[in-house]
Formats: sequence, C-alpha cells, structure tokens
Amino acid sequence: MDNQIIINEDIESPTDPEFERLKTELLTINMGPQHPATHGVLRVEIQTDSEIVVKATPHLGYLHRCFEKHAESVDYRGVIPFVDRMDYLAAMNMELGYSIAVEKMLGTEVPIRAEYIRIICSELQRIASHLMYFGTYAIDLGAFTPFLYAFQEREFILRIFEEISGARLLYNYFWIGGVWNDMTSDQLKRISGFVDRMEGELDKYHNLVGLNKIFIERTANVGVIDEETAYSYGATGPVLRGSGIDWDLRKKRPYSIYDKFDFDVIVGEGTQGKLGDCWDRYYVRMMEMKESIKIIRQALEGIEEGPVMGKVPKIIKLPKGEIYLRTECPRGELGYHIISDGGKTPYRLKVKSSCFTHVSMLPDLAPGQMIADFVATIGSIDIVLGEVDR
Amino acid sequence: MHADQDIKTQDHHEELTFKKYFSNIWVAVRSLIKGLKITSKYIYSEPVVSIEYPEVREVLPENSRSRLFNDAENCISCLQCATSCPVDCIYISANRRDKEAPKIKTKDGTPIRLDLTQYTIDTALCCYCGLCTTVCPTQCLTHTTDYEYATYTLGQMKIDYLDPEIRRWRDRIVK
Repeated sequence: MDNQIIINEDIESPTDPEFERLKTELLTINMGPQHPATHGVLRVEIQTDSEIVVKATPHLGYLHRCFEKHAESVDYRGVIPFVDRMDYLAAMNMELGYSIAVEKMLGTEVPIRAEYIRIICSELQRIASHLMYFGTYAIDLGAFTPFLYAFQEREFILRIFEEISGARLLYNYFWIGGVWNDMTSDQLKRISGFVDRMEGELDKYHNLVGLNKIFIERTANVGVIDEETAYSYGATGPVLRGSGIDWDLRKKRPYSIYDKFDFDVIVGEGTQGKLGDCWDRYYVRMMEMKESIKIIRQALEGIEEGPVMGKVPKIIKLPKGEIYLRTECPRGELGYHIISDGGKTPYRLKVKSSCFTHVSMLPDLAPGQMIADFVATIGSIDIVLGEVDR
Repeated sequence: MHADQDIKTQDHHEELTFKKYFSNIWVAVRSLIKGLKITSKYIYSEPVVSIEYPEVREVLPENSRSRLFNDAENCISCLQCATSCPVDCIYISANRRDKEAPKIKTKDGTPIRLDLTQYTIDTALCCYCGLCTTVCPTQCLTHTTDYEYATYTLGQMKIDYLDPEIRRWRDRIVK
C-alpha cells in the first residue's frame, strides 16, 4: 500500500518557494435553491477562499408567479388570494395593505369593529411571523428545540385564524370594505388568554435562546449593517430598526387606526456587540412581539359591537387614478402601487417588497464572513422568497 | 470585483484575558443550566401536544375551507362562481330547459331554467380562496371539512359533480 501514496518531497513547508508557484483558485459553491438555510428557494452563488466567503451573488426567480401581470386580469376581489401568496407567513398583513389601498381609492368607510378586528389579526400575524423567524433562526444556528416551542404557540394563532377565516395560511379574510366573518366573544376571550400566556413564554424564549452564550457568540458582531448601509439600501422594518434607526410606519405614518394605540418602537442598541449585528435584529423582533401584545390588549379593550362589512358595490370599479400605499409588515414596508383606468381590473399593480431590498444587501454583507456566519446573516434578515419573487 | 482583491476577514473576537476566560465559562454553564431547567419542566409537567395522525384525527373548525362540494340539484347554472374564480378552475355548461318539461325549483324556491350538463371543478387548480361559495345565490356550492382526498393521478383531481358516484357520498361530506 505504501507505494500508492505519492508524497511530493519537493514541497516541505508553506514557506518553500515551490509552494508559491502552486495554482490556487476560489471555490464556487451553490447554496440553494433547495437549502434549509435559505428559507425557501433562494440560490446564492458564493465564492469561497477556504471557509471565507469572498463573493456572494443571490439568484432570484425560483418562486416567480407573475403575480403583478396576473393581477391585471382578475377583478379587485380576486387579487386578494394572490396577495396572500406573496408573503405566506404574514398573509394578513399583505391583505391589510391591499384592502386599505383599494378602499382609499373607492372611498369606502370601514366599520369600526372591522378595523379593530383587522388590527388584532395583523398583530397576531406579526407574532406568528416573528415566532417563525425565531424558530427557523435557531435551526440555522444549530438548535432545534426552540423551533418546537415557537410552533406550539404559532399553532394557537393559526387555529384562531382557521376558525374565523377558514384557512390556516392563506386566509382571504380582509375583504375590501371590512372583514369576511365576525369574531365571536369566545374567540376574543381566547385571544386575551393567549396574549397573557405569550408574555411569559416570550421571556422564557429570550432567556433560553437570546441570552445563551453560544447564541450570542454566533450572532453578536456578525453581519453588521451600519446605519449608513441600511439607509442607502433602503432597508425597512426590523432590519432598519436593528441598525438603531427609529422608524416604524405604524407610529410615523399611522394607517388604519394605529394612531389610537400606545406602543413603543423597538430599536437595536448594540447590547451584545456592534450596533446593527444579527443579535440586534433578533432582539428587535423579540421585543416587537411584546409591543404587538400591548396593541392586541388595547384593541381587545376598545373593540365595539357593530357590523364588520361596509357598503361596497357588487362589482368593484375603481375611479381613474393611482395610489401608492405602504404598510408596516413583519418583514418591513410593503407598498402597493395601484393604477386604475376605471375598469373592473387593475391597469397596473406594482408591489414594493422589503424582502427584495434586503436580499440585495447580501453581496455587501458577505465578503469576509465565514460560511456559517453567512447562514446566520441570511437568517437574520428574515426573507420570504414568495415576496421577493412575487 | 472582490475576487482579485485581498479580502479582509471579519475578525470580531476581542482579546482574551484571564478574567474573561473564566467569566465565559461561567456564562456558558449558567445558560446551559437555564436550558436544562426548561427541558426538565417540559419532561415532567407539560402535557403532550402532538396528535398521532392516522389514529387520531383532528376535527377542523366548521367554516374550514377544504374540498368544494356542489349540490347539483340546487344549482341554477348562474355561472357566478365561475366568473368570480381567480384561477378559472370551475367548468360549467348548461342548456336551456324545454318549455314542456316539468317545472322544478331549488330548495329555497328559485326556479331552475337551465339544465346543467357539466359541472366540473379541477381541485388541482383550485386555490381554496372561498370566493365562489360567497357569491352562490342558492348556497349549493360549499366548502366541506373533508381534507383527505389525495389521488394517484392529476386527472382524478378533476371532480365531476354530476357523477352519480359523487352524489352517493354527498351526505358524508356536506357540512
């Protein structure tokens, strides 16, 4: 066997001039499209120098469903099921922006009870979406148990949504002019019980994962997005707030009835490392769930009896014109640009998605990171590919 | 761009002092104990949440949107469901009813003027949005809570609601 092993005795040590003449090249690795760390079907082509990422190029389009073009051929009510399918983890928030935009153009008054139900649902959805982030991010970093905890609580929210709307993920619940079904007092009571329990659970999660030594080591000082980078790329949502910028549309440009509620905007502080690292983004999301709980509590107190559907014509025809409306979704700002030519279907429907801008930050964040840190960075910006590709 | 440059590694580790070394160990042990505490709590005091699926079946809420069912006897072929469908998965064709034929009505008293000759829904295309059931004037098209209807071929997903076989198990799945 000995004679099969070829030992190049000319090269003795890396300092040998012979070693210098050896050809070296970067290794190209395709991360995804089917990769558990990319949260969907994102393909990142990375060039690596041993374990250091030198260059990362995200390739998009694996989940492209031609939503914007297809919306031009279905009526305004029929767009809502497609809107759901953009960010399938926060479908309620997707619907909220679209229905407010259409209502504003149509001039429809939404009944006050429907507004409250919308707030409760979209904040519950924000909790569910952030729980999903919490679970999958822990998986990215190698811990499986938090995922199960998060899904146990998320299951309750999905159950409530299933009872009121009929579906677990793609609800089609916020209709133009109100909501589809009314919530019963029993369901409201259960939600109230849930948020009480959730507050304690969140502390537990944060103690278990967020303050864990291994978790801090993996996330603090990793994937730092400084203030300037966040501004220049147009980052929104928790990514922007994680970099220390106080910007929340619910507070700064209130839509629906968000101006009635009292809550804080959570901003990253750089407690464990540099400002704008993965840990800060994690922290912003965890604390945002607590703020959502605050909003839900106030909404449960203020909810009034009444109808849940306003007066909407049977066939919706928007007046000629256009509107751009943005809302704060769990992953950032979502903008709808609807252009109407007075017909039954939109003339053009353009969506500005926050995930798309966040994906575009990856080539800037990646150089110099370890591959494992790069996985942590992708997880921390929390993208949903349905929204990126649309 | 970056390939030919010298990429600086993002080194983010501070200098390790003697004191820091031991405090790191202490923090790690403390977070480990914290985790184990929660684990032991789950072992001994939390109830089991998993459902053993084929043996135990979860009952879906009443207005859960699963497979569509059309009660063809009450259908007046108004085509409202087909027009409201965003994915166009409902195929309907109907003929004008003979004037001599006996007059029939639906359950709620709407006269049927058209004879339904085809009512097919491609459940593989259906997006379960529920828009078709809300526009139905006679409430004959409904979502059922039946969620176990996997088939072997794509063709079998096309369900013909005029088929006598389907009418036979109608009572089983209607809400």
